[in-house]
Amino acid sequence: MSSGNYFTNEPKEPVVKSETVPGPQSSAGIKALGQVTDSRPVYFIADYEKSVGNYIADVDGNVYLDVYAQIASNPLGYNNPALIETAKSDKMIRAIVDRPALGNFPGADTAEIIQGLLDMAPKGQDKVWSGLSGADANELAFKAAFMWYQGKKRGFTKGFNEEELKSVMSNSAPGSPELAILSFERAFHGRLFASGSATRSKPIHKLDLPAFKWPKAEFPSYKYPLDKYEAENKKEDERCLAIVDDILKSWSIPVAGVLIEPIQSEGGDNHASKEFFQGLRDLTLKHGTLMIVDEVQTGVGATGKMWCHEHFDLSPAPDIVTFSKKFQSAGYFFHDPEIMPAQAYRQFNTWCGDPARMILAGAIGKEIAKNNLVQRTKEVGQYMYSKLEALSSKYPKYIKNLRGKDRGTFIAWSLESGEARDKFLKDLKTKGVNMGGCAESSVRLRPTLVFEEKHVDILIQKIDQLLASY
Amino acid sequence: MGMSSKRGYIQGKVIANCVGKRVFLNGGVARRPYSSVAEEYFPDEPSKPVVTSSQIPGPSSIKLTKELGRSFDSNASYFISDYFNSKGNYISDADGNKLLDVYAQIASIPLGYNNPALIETARSDVMVNALVNRPALACFPSIDYGKILSEGILAAAPKGMGHVWTALSGSCANETAFKAAFIYQNAKRRGSLDVSAEELASCMDNKPPGSSDMVILSFDKGFHGRLFGSLSATRSKPIHKLDMPAFPWPRAPFPQLKYPLKDHVKENHEEEERCLAELENIITKKVAPNKIAAIIVEPVQSEGGDNHASSFFFQSLRDITLKHEILLIVDEVQTGVGASGKFWAHEHWNLSTPPDMVTFSKKFQAAGFYFSDPKLQPKEPYRQFNTWCGDPSKALLARSIYQEITKNDLVTKTAEVGSYIYENLEAMFSKYEGHVQNLRGKNYGTFIAWDHSSPAERDQFISLCRSKGLNIGGCGSAAVRLRPCLVFGKKHADIMLSIIEDVLKTLRG
Ligand SMILES: Cc1ncc(COP(=O)(O)O)c(C=O)c1O
Ligand SMILES: Cc1ncc(COP(=O)(O)O)c(C=O)c1O
Repeated sequence: MSSGNYFTNEPKEPVVKSETVPGPQSSAGIKALGQVTDSRPVYFIADYEKSVGNYIADVDGNVYLDVYAQIASNPLGYNNPALIETAKSDKMIRAIVDRPALGNFPGADTAEIIQGLLDMAPKGQDKVWSGLSGADANELAFKAAFMWYQGKKRGFTKGFNEEELKSVMSNSAPGSPELAILSFERAFHGRLFASGSATRSKPIHKLDLPAFKWPKAEFPSYKYPLDKYEAENKKEDERCLAIVDDILKSWSIPVAGVLIEPIQSEGGDNHASKEFFQGLRDLTLKHGTLMIVDEVQTGVGATGKMWCHEHFDLSPAPDIVTFSKKFQSAGYFFHDPEIMPAQAYRQFNTWCGDPARMILAGAIGKEIAKNNLVQRTKEVGQYMYSKLEALSSKYPKYIKNLRGKDRGTFIAWSLESGEARDKFLKDLKTKGVNMGGCAESSVRLRPTLVFEEKHVDILIQKIDQLLASY
Repeated sequence: MGMSSKRGYIQGKVIANCVGKRVFLNGGVARRPYSSVAEEYFPDEPSKPVVTSSQIPGPSSIKLTKELGRSFDSNASYFISDYFNSKGNYISDADGNKLLDVYAQIASIPLGYNNPALIETARSDVMVNALVNRPALACFPSIDYGKILSEGILAAAPKGMGHVWTALSGSCANETAFKAAFIYQNAKRRGSLDVSAEELASCMDNKPPGSSDMVILSFDKGFHGRLFGSLSATRSKPIHKLDMPAFPWPRAPFPQLKYPLKDHVKENHEEEERCLAELENIITKKVAPNKIAAIIVEPVQSEGGDNHASSFFFQSLRDITLKHEILLIVDEVQTGVGASGKFWAHEHWNLSTPPDMVTFSKKFQAAGFYFSDPKLQPKEPYRQFNTWCGDPSKALLARSIYQEITKNDLVTKTAEVGSYIYENLEAMFSKYEGHVQNLRGKNYGTFIAWDHSSPAERDQFISLCRSKGLNIGGCGSAAVRLRPCLVFGKKHADIMLSIIEDVLKTLRG
């Protein structure tokens, strides 16, 4: 399968018409939108009708090769015909018009829709709960972890005592117990209050918001290239695992779950070894806490596996895996029946997910499987990585710490400073490439799963042209 | 929509032409017949409920729920619905039953099942585009997004509120409003000072001063959602909150009014005064000064039992928040979008100054919060931010919902039908004293509720109603609430009233 099969009319290359990006029309649109809502983060005003495959169009007639893809959330390219067909289906129309309160009134087709999600579940997972965004998915997972943790102590089917029932209404223990989720330095898990408490990426994400007194451990910081520093990096793994062990033993608040991204994405595309993740799995088992893997950004094929943690051969499988972004639908997978509360109305809200988005997720899964897109992404990623490696020896100042080898197209590198990075991304837009940054001085590639060798060639050519001009 | 109802008041009597051919006596005044929007939308809407299984949930529902439960928490499932065969005010289930629905997906269906206007929207090219090309809205909005907002969500904005931030559910609408409140209040505290190095460092450890020690105050029995910030403000029932860590936020008493209101004017006023005094006491004595970022309140505490308070109470609350420079967030997730007989329920209060923020979700299908003061948008970008920042496909639906409501004058119609229901229930309930009491929601559209003598009897009432083809919901400990959609007409009301009376007769024995 090539993206040509989906997109017969995909542009051959980027087109830049305006002198600046954002162009005049985008700037006017940004200003108008700013009257009623926050438009300051807007890059440009997009024209989705004219966007095709890996190319996003804007109102000034510019057409960019998109390797940011809606902050890593567009799975199969703009206006993918298979998804258009799904969007026009009777099932979809019904799901949009008659949105159910899924917990109270599931539809006759709910089981089938859910099966669409489960068909793509990570190995070892056979249950799912649905949410609406990455932050929501993580917080729902935290709720599951807290109920499980208390249920384990109390007995999963046992009722609550008077003191719990009373104290909970004033937000105090024992009904509202102090329980923690352990996360890692530089992690990003969302921006609501509990997910925000677990997020450790940047002050701007956290400042001025109340937060739970939850612990953070250190995420390994490796020396690159990895093959040269094996011994040092192994020590780093051990050091970080010892910190986790220590926190799980001694933190003042019991830790119900350990939350980790397979690759810390917003925090700078920080990788850790298979051994680190295996060691972490062992520690969660040892201390009776749940392992929650946040696959919101890494999930759904981009790393060359459907779920990135499948690179790590974890045994047993993680307790909870959260998803959103490229799946278009959010939520978490799990397998232990005890992670599903025994009493009704505990994991609950009005909509409990969105069948319209779940139907889309099912269609995305089917297309991925049918067209072998995970394998393709792995190959394209290898091709892209080797090209970038070559470029990085040509421009070592601008392509430092290249990372993401054997992780599909989930590739990133650093520049010398935040300013250098910002300038690089801005200049690249004028060459017709839409790319995103992460952390202080890194850029990350997050193309769709229909990004191919021919797109890589254009990307490499544009980067090369730009860096040659520096 | 010029159709007139074929049935109506006849000389002060209401003839209910439905299942049990029942006649309601009514002391109310005659009024003009209602035109039926439902008939025009749904020419083939069932004329009455159909119950074919010997109980609800029937065998198919039970089987499917069990199967679903293996991979998806279906503990709270009432029955398995068949949305393909649901129509207007009637929800179909997997056993072929058709129930008149006055619960409407926990108050979230705006215009009836399979509404043709919404189907048209769902089929439109813009909708298909919004579904398959979902943008990271804050970074890459589409050309028409501004227009979609201004013709829909913003056109419906409460008076004086020209800005909006969009979210995905009631809980996240409230939490993003809380975030706006915390960021605003801390910026105000800081004044012209820059953010300090200590603040920047400490917030990375979840510690003050960078992590705020400010709080949100909510009311006893309030319900604001189930994520960790919103849940800390929720005070409805233990089952909503148990085992979840919560922020140590304060709560104030909410008036517990006595019914009928006209017989308890003085007591109720005193009760409201008492609550207001206690609120002032909490603000000035129990919480450290300037610590309360915002107060959140529902116009009618819905999940908590449909508890009402008067305009006097809410105006005084507004005055207190202004006096102490606390932001007022009105949670219209359940009350908003017409059901109360006003588009926004807080419009009943005629506040001298609009609330600072109004949150919405449910019937609007899109979620978020309105605000008036541009300063509630953080000074720095990327502070109120996430991947999707809302959902254009839901903003499109909200636009159509708003346009249909306006075109068909559905808020006025809901007010009228609501009065009709209220008057009839009032007359009916006088015959079942000891079983039903505290009828509330007069002049509040179809947003009506009452209490049963015990939680057990309430549960029995709901289950008997269902077996007679009426899907109805409870709230609080012993209350029943009506939450029909906005195309619930008089003919539907008559059927509902008839079933309610049947069931009350059974309960009375
Ligand atoms: C790993 C991870 N978790 C959670 C989130 C939060 O997702 P959302 O923005 O949909 O709330 C993100 C978003 O970037 C993410 O990358
Ligand atoms: C007043 C109010 N606020 C917030 C919520 C939470 O909304 P959601 O269930 O969409 O998170 C509800 C839900 O019932 C509600 O009634």
